[in-house]
This record gives sequence, C-alpha cells and structure tokens, in this order.
Amino acid sequence: MHISQRQKSIIKLLADGAFHSGTELAATLGVSRSAVWKQINGLSDLGLGYASVSGKGYRLEKPLELLSQDQIYQGINSNTRELISSFEIHDQINSTNSYLMACARNNAPSGLICMAEHQIAGKGRRGRHWVSPFGNNIYLSILWRFQQSGPEVLSGLSLAIGIAVIRALKQHHIHNIELKWPNDIYSQGKKLGGILVEVSGESEGPCVAIIGLGLNLYLSETEAVTITQAWTDLTKVSGQNRLPRNQLVGTLLNQLIAVISGYEEVGIKAYLDEWRTYDCLKNRQATMRLANQQINGIVEGIDSNGLLLIKRPDGTVQAFASGEVTFNSE
Amino acid sequence: MDIRKIKKLIEIIEESDIAELEIKEGEEAIRISRYSAPPITYAAAPAVAAPAVNPVLTPAPAEEKITGHVVKSPMVGTFYRSASPGTKAFVEVGHSVRSGDTLCIIEAMKILNQIEADKNGTVTKILVENAEPVEYGQPLFIIE
Repeated sequence: MHISQRQKSIIKLLADGAFHSGTELAATLGVSRSAVWKQINGLSDLGLGYASVSGKGYRLEKPLELLSQDQIYQGINSNTRELISSFEIHDQINSTNSYLMACARNNAPSGLICMAEHQIAGKGRRGRHWVSPFGNNIYLSILWRFQQSGPEVLSGLSLAIGIAVIRALKQHHIHNIELKWPNDIYSQGKKLGGILVEVSGESEGPCVAIIGLGLNLYLSETEAVTITQAWTDLTKVSGQNRLPRNQLVGTLLNQLIAVISGYEEVGIKAYLDEWRTYDCLKNRQATMRLANQQINGIVEGIDSNGLLLIKRPDGTVQAFASGEVTFNSE
Repeated sequence: MDIRKIKKLIEIIEESDIAELEIKEGEEAIRISRYSAPPITYAAAPAVAAPAVNPVLTPAPAEEKITGHVVKSPMVGTFYRSASPGTKAFVEVGHSVRSGDTLCIIEAMKILNQIEADKNGTVTKILVENAEPVEYGQPLFIIE
C-alpha cells in the first residue's frame, strides 16, 4: 500500500478544511474529474472523513496540518538538534516502532527519529492495534542506544517518558493530564496516548531501545469505533480546535530527548516525585491481571523502582513489574 | 570491650577448631560462636530459589542436574514466547539458535525486552510457561 503523489496533492489542497469543487481540483492537478473522484473515494481508506456536497464540492471533516520537518525543526532546541542523527517523515508506514526495530538490526545510529502520517499496522503492546488514521495525530518513534545500561536499568525509563510527554503538553497550556501506570497518558479517566518501548541487547548493556509514542490529537467517532476502552483526544482535552501539530512535535522531541539522553545518568529516582503527582490510579480500587491470576485491591502508588503497589483486602502490599491494571467502576 | 580485642578473638577462633568461646571480664561478657550464622544463610537460599522451580511443576525433581548453558532472566517481569498473542513462538525445543537470536520477550513496566541467545547451540529446554511472571536470575532456557 502506498500513497500516490496524486492522492497526496489532493490531500494538500483539501487540508485547509474549505470546500473545493471537483472541477477546481481537477484543473489544479491537471487530471479528469473522475480521477479526482477516485482519489477522494480513497480518503476513507486512510481514515480521513470528508463531506461531499453537490454544488460546493468536497471538504475534509477537519482541517489538517501535515507534518513538515522544517516547521518541526523551528520548534526544537540546539541540544535536541545535535542529538538527532536523522529524521524521517513517512506518509504511510506499517508501524514506526517496527520500522525502527528493523533499522536497529541494521545498525542504525542512535538518535534516529521516525514519524508517519498514517500507520497501517500501528501497534500497542502484545499485538494490540493502535488506531492511526492519516494526518491528524502523532505517531513518533525514537531509536536510542544506551551504552552502559541493560534492560533492568532501563525499566524505569518507561515512567520517565510519560513525564516528558506531560511536560511538553504543559508548555502548550494543556494541564489536565494524568498517567496511568506505567505510562498511559490519560485525561479525566480516558486514554489520550500510549507509549511502547521495545528493547534488545545484552543484560548488562549495551542495548538499543525503540521508544514509540502514539498521541491522539483528533480522532473521529468513525475511526475510534474499534477502540475498546474510554478514549479522548487533545482537541477535546484542550478545547483548542486547531492544535499546532508541528510545534507540538517539536516540543515533544525537546522533552523526550532530554529525558532519554540524560536517563543513564540520573535514573528513575529523578522522576519519582513528579510521576507521583500525575498518578491517576493512586488510592483507587483496581484489578491487576497477571498470567492466570487476578488481584483486586487498592493502589498505593509506586515504589522507589517504579513498581506498582497494590494493597490486597487482607492488608498485604504487593509490588508489580508487569500486568494489566484496570480501574474498577466505583 | 575493645573492638580490636573482639576482632583478635575472632581471628583466634578462626584459626582453631573451637566452635564457641565465651569470655567474662568483670561486668562484660562476650560469646563468639562460629556455627550459628551459616545455617540461617543456607536455610534462606532454597526459600528464594523455590519460586523458580514452580513454573516447571511437571517432572524435574530438584536434584536433576542441569547441563548445558542456562539463559537466565535479566529482570523481573512477564515472560512471553512470541512477539504477540497468536503468533509463532520465537523458539521451540530442538531449534538451533545462534548468538543474538531472540529467544523470548520479558515485559516489565510496559517495556518489551527481547532476550537474545548469548551462545550458539540447540534449545533443549524451555523452563517457563508463556505469560508467567519471572524473577531476576530465573533460568529460562537451556542451550546445549
């Protein structure tokens, strides 16, 4: 699957969110009206909603700000710039994480960034699908090589990444964001974004990490129909109808790369207090699912290694490094 | 009693066959015993190791000798034999692997860690069930 130049051109013309007649589009692109119609028809496959009104033409459901490396680079600081070895923006990709995993196997250097407008097989953990329609959201992965740390040391990075995302959103005056252990980005009990970190390498290091972020900026009800949990997007959360997508990416990269590049030096200790202020599970009734077990209890927060503490009804407190934790309805 | 004196006493006991020594000096008394501490340490060790034996459950009495190269878990987490549910396991018993091949994934704090073979050979045992929690240092695979 591939987005043709012609389709990309039509998307660019429609990106302003205004009506464009078939005749106008055909003339601008130098193609027939039926060719235009065919391309418009293909927009739904990309997850782009549009309206077709006779006498007016076609209009996207929502204006788009397409990714632009130039615009992103205007928002990144010199430290970030120095640490980025290469920056790729794809119109379409299977998954930004899978792509960087393949790059890592081929010895790609640290600091490789991959973004995409559309993911065909966007993924969450353990084979879950990440809904990734074209043009509205952020699908961003970073390849980073850690010289002195193995997987054990890096486990806390997972929590630190969540903080980087919150710090970036705060710079854009978006404040009501929380973290659900270990690093789901939430707002008012609904999922706004997810982080997927994949690591390979030796147990004492060096190792390579692919840090992936999926952040909903705008999801239509049509696209979100397959999502099986409460979800939200930044448009709803911020009340801003036109979020500066490229600026937001720039800010995210500044914060993410600062946290990632400094992690080996400071470790999880540097982030525990801040993480605890965003903890949306603390003191709540929750269920932890782990292999065949199911543990119910009250979340007591995280310990000094970032493990989730759950107090069982009998009063014992257990620390978890992995498992699926869900809120219980109150 | 002077700490240097106690140290000296310990040294004397170490060089001798004395099991226990008690000295009284006016108000002060000291008893040094060389065999009370070790048994506690020995008792603790199997208790820690026990969970590691659990997942095997089936045959393997504890005395069974593990030959070959043991791949241990570098961390606490959940053990997965495949990249995602429903996909093929990375390795099966009898597969030959090369150093650097992915053997399994251990998930901790939502980080998916690919655990690689650190030796060429044949996988002769898989010691943990899919989706089971694992401890630090727990044996996962045997490669011969």
